[in-house]
Amino acid sequence: MTPALRALIVDDEDLARRLVREFLSKQADVEIVGECDNGLDAVKQIGALAPDLVFLDIQMPRLTGLEVLELTGRRSGVIFTTAYDEHAMKAFDLHAVDYLLKPFSKARFDEALGRARTLLGRDAPALDALVATRAGQALQRLLIRDRDQVHVVAVEDIDCIEAQGDYLAVHAGAQCLLKLQPLAELEAQLDPRTFIRVHRSFIVNLAALQSIERAGADGHAARLRNGKRVPISRAGYERLKAWV
Amino acid sequence: MHPILADARRLFAYLAACALAGTGLAALLRLADVAGWGNALVFALPPAVGYGFIALSAYWLCRALPHDDRRGPVVAWRFGGAAMVASLAWVAAAQAWNATGTLGAAGRPFVQMPPAGWVLMLVAGTVLYLVSLLAHDVLVAFERVREHARREAESRVLARDAELRMLRTQIDPHFLFNSLNSISALTAFDPDEAREMTIDLAQFFRRTLALAERERIPLAEEVALCRHFLAIERRRFGAKLGAALRIAPEAEACLLPPMTLQPLLENAIKHGIRGLDGGGTIEVDVVVQGGWLHVAVANPVAAAAPSARGAGAGTSAAPGLGLGLANIRARLAVLHGTRARLDVRREPARFVVEITLPADTEPS
Repeated sequence: MTPALRALIVDDEDLARRLVREFLSKQADVEIVGECDNGLDAVKQIGALAPDLVFLDIQMPRLTGLEVLELTGRRSGVIFTTAYDEHAMKAFDLHAVDYLLKPFSKARFDEALGRARTLLGRDAPALDALVATRAGQALQRLLIRDRDQVHVVAVEDIDCIEAQGDYLAVHAGAQCLLKLQPLAELEAQLDPRTFIRVHRSFIVNLAALQSIERAGADGHAARLRNGKRVPISRAGYERLKAWV
Repeated sequence: MHPILADARRLFAYLAACALAGTGLAALLRLADVAGWGNALVFALPPAVGYGFIALSAYWLCRALPHDDRRGPVVAWRFGGAAMVASLAWVAAAQAWNATGTLGAAGRPFVQMPPAGWVLMLVAGTVLYLVSLLAHDVLVAFERVREHARREAESRVLARDAELRMLRTQIDPHFLFNSLNSISALTAFDPDEAREMTIDLAQFFRRTLALAERERIPLAEEVALCRHFLAIERRRFGAKLGAALRIAPEAEACLLPPMTLQPLLENAIKHGIRGLDGGGTIEVDVVVQGGWLHVAVANPVAAAAPSARGAGAGTSAAPGLGLGLANIRARLAVLHGTRARLDVRREPARFVVEITLPADTEPS
């Protein structure tokens, strides 16, 4: 006998979880190992339980379903459920990711489950693209995982982002948080109208920019609202000039 | 149709004025000693009344010359020419009428008019016609301005209606589909509850549709709609969701745009209660004070954790929230201008939306 499939149900509504539970109860080889009613909890449970299947709601308090995937790096055995989220649905269709539209029938549920079974344990490249493009929306908040804690930083609070080896140092006011991500990837997710790459290793929030100072013979540096001084490269200066 | 000819009373007054002018002409003839009173009146009255009708033709002449496309020489030429022609025709007719006096018992014209008299009549006729033209021109200009203002007011009303209609019919599809999903879940283990929820959902939508047709509704109706809405949401979120509605009795008859309170409750749940592990209670307070209706909706929110400076700001500035409030603000502005206001206040652990608008009630 094959070992049972271990499933995690993530939805902030009790009745919605109950429906998934009911549909799964008809599947002899599926065992429900946990339920979460918010995104933060889901991040912890996915790490702790390593379930084979995750039924993941998109619109949840604290963290959305896509943010859960971003933080956990989970790319396999995910079945999305959503009531109505225009942006997410467009992105799903674009990347050919399967999802369940609430309310869904037993037949539709079984179909999605069957498809997930055939792909079990295999990473879906489409999910990578989906998470990387944030479902087609400009980044509004930055998620930074720090051991058991998740920091949520609104992008408007960020002063600048500095590349430090494999890590990014995110400066927001007095705090500085480290995130494991290439600078170019984050640059692509940020709104290009407010965030400018001023240097090979620096992105600056235009809203945090206080002044541009001369530095050396013909170099420049940016002074930010938190007092920090950021070097500006020649190409960065050209990009800045186009906006300021 | 000429405004004087279209109204019997105006026409009568105008004819009386013409007759008076004719009497004046007769008096002049009597003074000049060209005829006795009787003959002078017989001669003067018909041409005076006849010329009254001729002078009214100036109305159509003015309407045929649009105000915004006029060049001095053309206008002078046309108005002057028309006045001369009208006057000539009038004097010719008057002469013919005077000549009919020879057919009478006396065998003489009514008056013995010297040539200078006819010339004077010609000049007077021309001047009178010009005066008529000027008066009609002003009248036509006024008519145009009035017509323009009326059309503008009409289009403003139409635009406002369209705007209100557009703003009113915005029910969150997310709410509908989630509710249907809840009903789908309930059918398996609690059919009675599923039926109740279906009915609440139907009631909510029926009321929403009925209210959306109207510009303003009594607060009591909006509150009834909100109770259905809360009943549905309570089934979705369970004990997490509490609501305390404190509505002053005198506020219930006050009018407000439909779907003003409901979106505030929806926001309070979506951005407040939903994010709290233990849930919370939405507080709604409505009072009437000094002729103003005050509506306040408060909900607890997750306190911004010090480690995440932006988390609180991030949730309160969620895109859906701003849109809903902007929508209510726009509708209040359309109906009340600057006399209505919507304020948003973020306290450490609470989010408060306050609306103030004139406390009008249905005229009974």
